[in-house]
Amino acid sequence: MLSKTLAVAVLCLTVLGLQAGSPERSVIQILTFSQQPQFDSPWRSDNVRRSGGSGFVIKGRKIITNAHVIAWAKQILVRRYQDPRPFQARVAYAGNDCDLAILEVEDPSFFDGLEPLEFGDLPAVRSAVVTCGYPAGGEQISFTRGVVSRIEVQNYAHPGNRFLLAVQTDAAINPGNSGGPVLQDDKVVGVAFQGVPGLENAGFFIPPEVIRHFLKDIEDGKYTGFPEAGINLVPLQNPAYRRFLGLPEDGVGARVDSLRPGGPAEKLLKKDDVVLEIAGYPVGSDGTVLYRDNRVSGSILFQTVQNGETVKLKVWRDRKPIEVEVPVAVYQGDRLAGNQYDVPPRYLIYGGLVFTPLSADYLRTLGRDRPDASSSALFYELYYRRSEDPGGARSEPVVLSTVLAHPANANLRVRGKVLVNRINGVRIDCLEDVAQALGQKKEGAHVIEFAGQDGFECLEREASAQATPQVLETYGISSDRRL
Amino acid sequence: MTRPLLLLLLLIAGLAPVSSAEAVWEKSVVTVEVTFKDYDFFQPWNTPTRSVRKHGLYIGGQEIVTTAQYLPTETLVRLQKGGRGKWYPAKVVWFDPHADLAVITSEDPEFWVGLRPARLAKAIPQAQDFNLIRWKDGNLESRRVEFSKFTVKDGSLSFAPRLTLELNTDLGGLGWAEPVMLNGTVAGLTTSKGGNTCNVVPAPFIRQILEARAKGRYPGMGYFDFVWEPGENPTTLEHLGLKGPSRGAIVIRVPNRPGVDPVLKPRDLLLEVDGFPIDVAGDYLDPQYGHLLLENLSSRGHLAGDMVRMKVLRDGMETNISYVLPKAEYHDDLVPRELFDHPPEYVVAGGLVFQALDQPFLRGWGEDWRRRAPFRLQHYQNGSPTAERPSLVLLSNVLPDPVNVGYQEARFLVVDRINGRRISTLADVVEALKDPKDGVHRVEFMKGDTLQSLLLDAASMDQATQRVIRRYGLPAAQRITEPAAKTKTQGTMG
Repeated sequence: MLSKTLAVAVLCLTVLGLQAGSPERSVIQILTFSQQPQFDSPWRSDNVRRSGGSGFVIKGRKIITNAHVIAWAKQILVRRYQDPRPFQARVAYAGNDCDLAILEVEDPSFFDGLEPLEFGDLPAVRSAVVTCGYPAGGEQISFTRGVVSRIEVQNYAHPGNRFLLAVQTDAAINPGNSGGPVLQDDKVVGVAFQGVPGLENAGFFIPPEVIRHFLKDIEDGKYTGFPEAGINLVPLQNPAYRRFLGLPEDGVGARVDSLRPGGPAEKLLKKDDVVLEIAGYPVGSDGTVLYRDNRVSGSILFQTVQNGETVKLKVWRDRKPIEVEVPVAVYQGDRLAGNQYDVPPRYLIYGGLVFTPLSADYLRTLGRDRPDASSSALFYELYYRRSEDPGGARSEPVVLSTVLAHPANANLRVRGKVLVNRINGVRIDCLEDVAQALGQKKEGAHVIEFAGQDGFECLEREASAQATPQVLETYGISSDRRL
Repeated sequence: MTRPLLLLLLLIAGLAPVSSAEAVWEKSVVTVEVTFKDYDFFQPWNTPTRSVRKHGLYIGGQEIVTTAQYLPTETLVRLQKGGRGKWYPAKVVWFDPHADLAVITSEDPEFWVGLRPARLAKAIPQAQDFNLIRWKDGNLESRRVEFSKFTVKDGSLSFAPRLTLELNTDLGGLGWAEPVMLNGTVAGLTTSKGGNTCNVVPAPFIRQILEARAKGRYPGMGYFDFVWEPGENPTTLEHLGLKGPSRGAIVIRVPNRPGVDPVLKPRDLLLEVDGFPIDVAGDYLDPQYGHLLLENLSSRGHLAGDMVRMKVLRDGMETNISYVLPKAEYHDDLVPRELFDHPPEYVVAGGLVFQALDQPFLRGWGEDWRRRAPFRLQHYQNGSPTAERPSLVLLSNVLPDPVNVGYQEARFLVVDRINGRRISTLADVVEALKDPKDGVHRVEFMKGDTLQSLLLDAASMDQATQRVIRRYGLPAAQRITEPAAKTKTQGTMG
C-alpha cells in the first residue's frame, strides 16, 4: 500500500514538474522535404518526400534533432509549440554517425520567448522518463511516459555501421518522435531516435554522453565524428587461455583478438595483449566496463574523447602490466559500407557507361537484402575485402553501374552491376582512376576488365568519346561527371 | 456411358488411355524404392534415413537403369514390377552421380520373369511430341508431353554439362526417372522439373555411358574446366586480332591445377572445338540437335581423358591445340558440390566440432540455403583450390563443456591453422591436435573481422572430448574416411 502511494506521488510530481517548466514550448515540430539520389543512376533523384520529426531548442538559438530527420533535405520547415507559422530552417551540422544534427532558423524571431532546454546526466535504469515530440497520428505535441529499460551499446540504424551508447525505454517512440527530447526532471536526458522492428514497447534514445560529444565536436565549427582505436577486443573467459597468458580467473581483462590494419592502435598493441583498464575503468573478462552502474562495452570509452586525443590503457603483456596511451581517430575506411547522406553520389559517364563507387546504398538498388550469385563479388568487395585482404582493398571500389544504350556501346555484353578491376591496364582504386585511365589511352580500343568471372570488354575509343555528349543529351543528364 | 463418349472426355481432359502399344511398357518400366541416408550436416554423426520411389527401365541382362539421384547413399533398394504387388530386394551394381545414372539388379530370378527389355533411342528427332510413362496408383499412366528444345545443362548432381531434352508439361510430380517414349523407343528419363519445364537425360547420352561401362571402359564424365564468355563484341574480337566476320568464344579463366600444364590461356579466342566452328554466342551447330553450347562437346562422344581438338586464335595467330578432358570430380571445387563417396566427416575435440566446408553443409540451411546460409561461407564457392589449400575446414559448432567456456558462440569460422599447422582437411586437424605447443592448442581462423583465434588446454582435451561424447550421445569423436576408401567407393565402380 505504501509503495503504491509512493508511486502515485512520484508520477504526480513528474507531471507537475513538466507543467511547471513547460519544456514542451521548446519542443519543435520539423517538416522535411527531402530528395534522395538514385545510387545506380547517380544523376537522378527519387520523388520529393515529406516527412515529419521533432527537435528542441538548445543554447545558442539552435535546434537539435536527429540527422535522419533532415537527411537529404531540400527544404526544412520548423514550427513552434501551438504556433501555426512555418519557419525556414537550415542544417548547420549533421553528425550522421551519431544521428544528431543542429538546425539554424533563418528568421531569428523564431526563438523569441523560447527557453533552451538543459541537458541532464545519463538516467538510471528503472527511472521514469517522458518523451516529447510530434509523432505520426496527429498534429499536436504528444507525451509518452516510460522507464529506462537498459543502457547498452547499440547499432545506430542511420549510419548502419556505427555502434554507440543508447538507452532503451518502454516509452512509446514512434515515427515523428525522432529528434524530440526525452525528459527527466525538466532536463533532457536523451534524444529519441529509433525503434527496433519486432520489439514491442522498446524505443531508443541517444544519451547525454553522445549528445555532449557531438556538441563539443562542433565547437570548432565543423563536425568530425566519433573516433575509435581500431581494436577488436574479445572476451577472455576461457580458463586455459587466461592461465596461458598468466592471468588469474578474476573476471578482469579482455583480449586483443585483432587490430585494424592502419588503425591508431596497430603499432601500439599486439594480438593477445589483454586490456585491463580503459581510461581508468576496469575491463571485465567479457569486454565490458561498469559505466555509471551499467555494464556496457568498453568501446564506449574510446568514444568519450575527441578525434586526435588519446586514451590511457592498462595492458597485460608478457605476464606484466604496462601502460599504453592510444590515440583515437575517426575511421572513414568503411564509409561506403554504411549509409551515406547529403553528399550526392559520385559518377563518371563515358560512352554511355556509368561508373560509380560501390557502396551499401548502391547495393540496395539491386533490390536484394542478401547477395545472389551475380552480386556476390560486390558484397565481398564492400564488406569483407578490407579486413581479409587489406593489401588488395581499394579505397573506393568502382562499379560499372549501368550502360546507357547507344550505338557505340550496343555490342557490350556486360550491361552493368559489375566491379571494375582495370581499365587500359590501370588498376581502378577510385573513380578518378577511371577518368585517368580512359583519358590516357591514345590509340586502340579501351579495354575494361571486370573483377570475378566477368571477363573484359573492349570499347571503341573514338566512337565512345564522341558518344558521350550524345548520351548526355539523349538521357537528359546535365554533366558527364560528379567527381 | 458409351465408350466413344468416355474416349472423348478422356481426350478433352488430356488423359490418353493406355493403348495396347503402350501397354507393352508395363513389362519394361519398374518401380524403384530407395531408402537412403539423408544426413544431418549440422550434426554429422546423425544418420537419418528417408525413402523415395522412382522409376527404372529394364534394359536387358538383368539390369535396370535409372537416374543416380538418391542411390549413392542408399541403405536399401527394392524393385517392383507391374506397378503393384511384391517388392523384390535389389542392389546397385553401378552408379555415377556425374552422369546421373545407375544400374540396379535383383538376385531374385522371379523378378525378371515376364519383363521385356526396352530399346533406348539412338537419336531423337527435334520438334516431336513424346509420351511420358509412369506408374501411378498401380496403373500405368501415359501422358503426352510437348517438345520444347534440346539444351545443355549441368547434371542434377554434377557440374559437368551434358545434352538435356526439355519438355513442356503441366504434369506435377515429375523428375523421378519417368521414361519418355517416342516411336516405340525410350527417348530418355526425367531428371527434374521446374515450372512447366521437365528436364530429361536423353537416351543417346544414356547409351553412350552404358556402352562404355559395358566395355569396362568408363573413365567418368569429362568437362571443360575453363571459363569462357561469348565473343559478341566485335571490338573485343578485333582487339584479340580476329580478321573477318565475328566468331568464337573468349577464354577468360583457366584453372591452375597442380601438376597440370594448361593448354589454353586467358584471352584465347576459341574458334573450333572437336571440328565444329564456334559462333559468337559460344554455340556450335550440332548435326542432330541444332545450336548447342560448346560445353556439349565435352560429352558428345567423349569421356574423361579423351583428347578434344581445338583451334584458338592466340596473339593474333590461329593455333591448334589438343585439350585432354579432365574427369569431373567433386574435389575440383574448393567447396565440393557433393560428397557421395563418404558420409559427412567430422572431428570433435574438446567440444569444438570441425567439419569440411562443402555444399551439402551449406544446404543444411534448407531449400532457401543460398539466401540463408552465411554469406562468407557461401562466397568460398567462388574460390579455387590451390596446392597449399585444396579444401577448407570450418569450426561448425561448439558443444558446450567446461573446457570450451568462452567459445560457445563461436561457429561457422573457417580454420586457417591449428598449433601452427595449415589446415585443409580433417586429417590435418587430427594431426595438428597431436602437437600442442606450451600446453595449449591454438586454433587460428581465416583473417577477417570475426574471431581470429582461440586456445584450449591440451592436458584436459582428451578427457573433455570423452565427456562431450557421453553427454551429447555422439557415436565417436571423429569420422574420417581414409582417402583410399573414398576412391574405392566412388560412383564409377563396376
